[in-house]
Amino acid sequence: MPNTIHVAEYLDLDVDSERWHCHSCGHDVGDARDNYKKGLLIYERDPSEVHPPLIDGEFTFAPNPEWIRILEFYCPGCGRQVETEYLPPGHPITHDTEIDLDSLKRKLASGQLRINEHGKLEVAK
Amino acid sequence: MSYPSLEEKLAALKVSEPSDYERSCLDAVSPGDYEIGVQRTADILDEGYEVFMRSSRSQMGVAGDSIVAMFNAQGDLVNASAGTYLHAVIPPIVIKYILKNFRENPGIADGDIWYTNDALYGGIHNPDQVAIMPVFFEGELVAWTAALSHTTETGACEPGGMPVSAKSRFDEGMNLPPMKIGHDHVLRHDVIEMFAAFGLRSETSVTVDLRARCTTADRVRVRLLEMFAREGKDFVTGLFRRMLIEAEQGARKRLASWPDGVYRCATFSDSAGTEHGLMRNCFMTMTKKDDTLHIDFTGTSPENGSSYNAHPQAVIGHLANYIYEYVFHDLPISSATFQPIDFEFPPNSMLSPAPNAATSCAVMAATGAMSSIANCVGRARFATTEWRQVTASLGNGGNASVLAGVSQWGMPFADMLAYTINTEGQGARSHSDGINAYGFPWCAFGRAPDVENMENELPMLVPFSQHWPDSGGAGKHRGGVGTAQLWVTHHVPYVIFMSIADNSIVQTPQPLFGGYTMCTCPGLSMEGVDIPELLRAGDEGTLDLASLLAGKYGGEIVSETYARTARPVMSDQVITLGISTGGAGYGDPLDRDPQAVEKDVTDGLISEWSATNVYAVRFDERTGRVDQESTSAFRREVLAERKARGKTWDEFHEGWSRRKPPEEVLNLYGSWPDAAVVNPLMRM
Repeated sequence: MPNTIHVAEYLDLDVDSERWHCHSCGHDVGDARDNYKKGLLIYERDPSEVHPPLIDGEFTFAPNPEWIRILEFYCPGCGRQVETEYLPPGHPITHDTEIDLDSLKRKLASGQLRINEHGKLEVAK
Repeated sequence: MSYPSLEEKLAALKVSEPSDYERSCLDAVSPGDYEIGVQRTADILDEGYEVFMRSSRSQMGVAGDSIVAMFNAQGDLVNASAGTYLHAVIPPIVIKYILKNFRENPGIADGDIWYTNDALYGGIHNPDQVAIMPVFFEGELVAWTAALSHTTETGACEPGGMPVSAKSRFDEGMNLPPMKIGHDHVLRHDVIEMFAAFGLRSETSVTVDLRARCTTADRVRVRLLEMFAREGKDFVTGLFRRMLIEAEQGARKRLASWPDGVYRCATFSDSAGTEHGLMRNCFMTMTKKDDTLHIDFTGTSPENGSSYNAHPQAVIGHLANYIYEYVFHDLPISSATFQPIDFEFPPNSMLSPAPNAATSCAVMAATGAMSSIANCVGRARFATTEWRQVTASLGNGGNASVLAGVSQWGMPFADMLAYTINTEGQGARSHSDGINAYGFPWCAFGRAPDVENMENELPMLVPFSQHWPDSGGAGKHRGGVGTAQLWVTHHVPYVIFMSIADNSIVQTPQPLFGGYTMCTCPGLSMEGVDIPELLRAGDEGTLDLASLLAGKYGGEIVSETYARTARPVMSDQVITLGISTGGAGYGDPLDRDPQAVEKDVTDGLISEWSATNVYAVRFDERTGRVDQESTSAFRREVLAERKARGKTWDEFHEGWSRRKPPEEVLNLYGSWPDAAVVNPLMRM
């Protein structure tokens, strides 16, 4: 059984090869020591395309597009929307998940942690 | 002055070293007796919590926005009953401050009643007030008890205790450092008069809630004394210390299974009090290593000249809301569960402001921290067998409205309308939708009042209460929807209205794993429509949010920010449309079961527009039911469109990294984009 952890809804981590993979289609998303978002496709949306204005005026139920944008991150293999982030225009994309691979490998090797049949980490009994 | 420094506050959150006597008492607690003892403490606290709600007068107190707690002699929190987890870990700061500074003068004695509401000394914000009593057994200090709750009047520059126009702490009314307000088990009458004077706008609520806190702290004290007398001092002392040890072990065990690493979240808001401007209201860097967490807020926007600042322990209290609800839900509410967690606050940020800062709207300033912790913990935890506990952020809007004036019963009042805040949507869960109108993210066990109760207590008419369509973030699992209520002045010539929020231009919570967050919340009222007359006429139709927004009953919608300064609203006029935000969404909306989308439309939880444009569901025009084949084809088209329009990281950054929000909206942000302090803030 591959040494793979299901780390996010649409993201697997192959511990041996140190690669991110799409959980839906298996597409190789990139180096697991780097930001997984670098291996995804990015699309910027006006928030009103998801949150439509319901009334006229300045405050409409829709976020103001000059203040905030929606960034959508797609798997290049299957198009799954792996992640979204609401950011002001030009704001750096967040490196939200930076797993310490060396620690993880050490704990797996020592038996402190194990990967169960569902790809989930658990503390060894 | 000797108010505690940040370092002293953070140190006070840590469990004290056990004395030799405490260590010797551990052997007095055998297995079996330990479990019974733990349950006994919970029973005492639950009784106290019930007493508290039944004794309180303000809407928040009656709703259960409170906590009742017991501590060991050194001031470590041993267990609590909530209510709100907001106060779960921070009261030790106050007790340890009293022990350090007031042991000699004025002294700590049996029958003392201590009190504080000053965030500078360890609270959340000054509407949140705590009564604390030492417990003396056979002449020796053996424990402490406390009762904390939110009261909606402090004598500030605006009614309701959370003035949006306050510029410094000197605009916020009563701020009491820890002080003795009663002795020999008697509350001082001159102190009650002081509370009545500060609470002049709502004397009954303020003084009754004051007594409720004291009554509750004393009830727990009495029950603890019974326990000491029955079980012996050695047993209870040993029990308390073992509870701390086991709680810490439980917390560390839970954290140990998460993968070590660094998890980050950036959130934003749109206002500080009455001033609009983009703020990075939290930049959280959560480092998980072995069985510890380190949470760093560096990168959060600078403090501002409004009341939307929070002292650091108030921020930690806000994290406890999420942590006890989702992470340590099966552990005692205890100082020890936070023992493995360390914090770092950048000076002069909105989450660590100067001592003279206004912080009465700390709950607004901390919405980013509340949202970020859900996001960071969710990312760390999904890889483990605890993945079912992962959720997108709760609504965390806290859209709070205050009414004040003279009620239909001739009583002065100032109160927060508990319905809206207690009916926010839950964040979507990793295995199912968030609960609709789940409750108050600040108070998991808070209860929305009945409409009849609201109309009886306050001079208002509430023609409708409803789920609010599309208010929950979209996703494979949808965020729970919030609610809308229409409020009309009734029975009195006028009321004073104000409201508090920071989500009319941008929403703070980030969604999780490909979902969307919720829409923004405008501050809505209506002109030119006589609602009571409409009701009297009894014409056919449905009076609801959609019909009002569509102009079906005439009048004109007035749209502002949800946060509004105090203003009069005359009899039979619309006060506002109270709306509570939904929860954030989880997962790709294209993965949502089309049948669930159809049901959401049928149930009025999402619009047909969202079903088509966000969830990519096609309906059979003849039957109105989902067309599965057409939906599958449509979704394949959307997936292909995404792959065609998406840009690579480098392509995207060619344009993105050169952009910036308009300069005029960065007035509160700090330096761009890292949100560092640019200019010193001057307060009068």
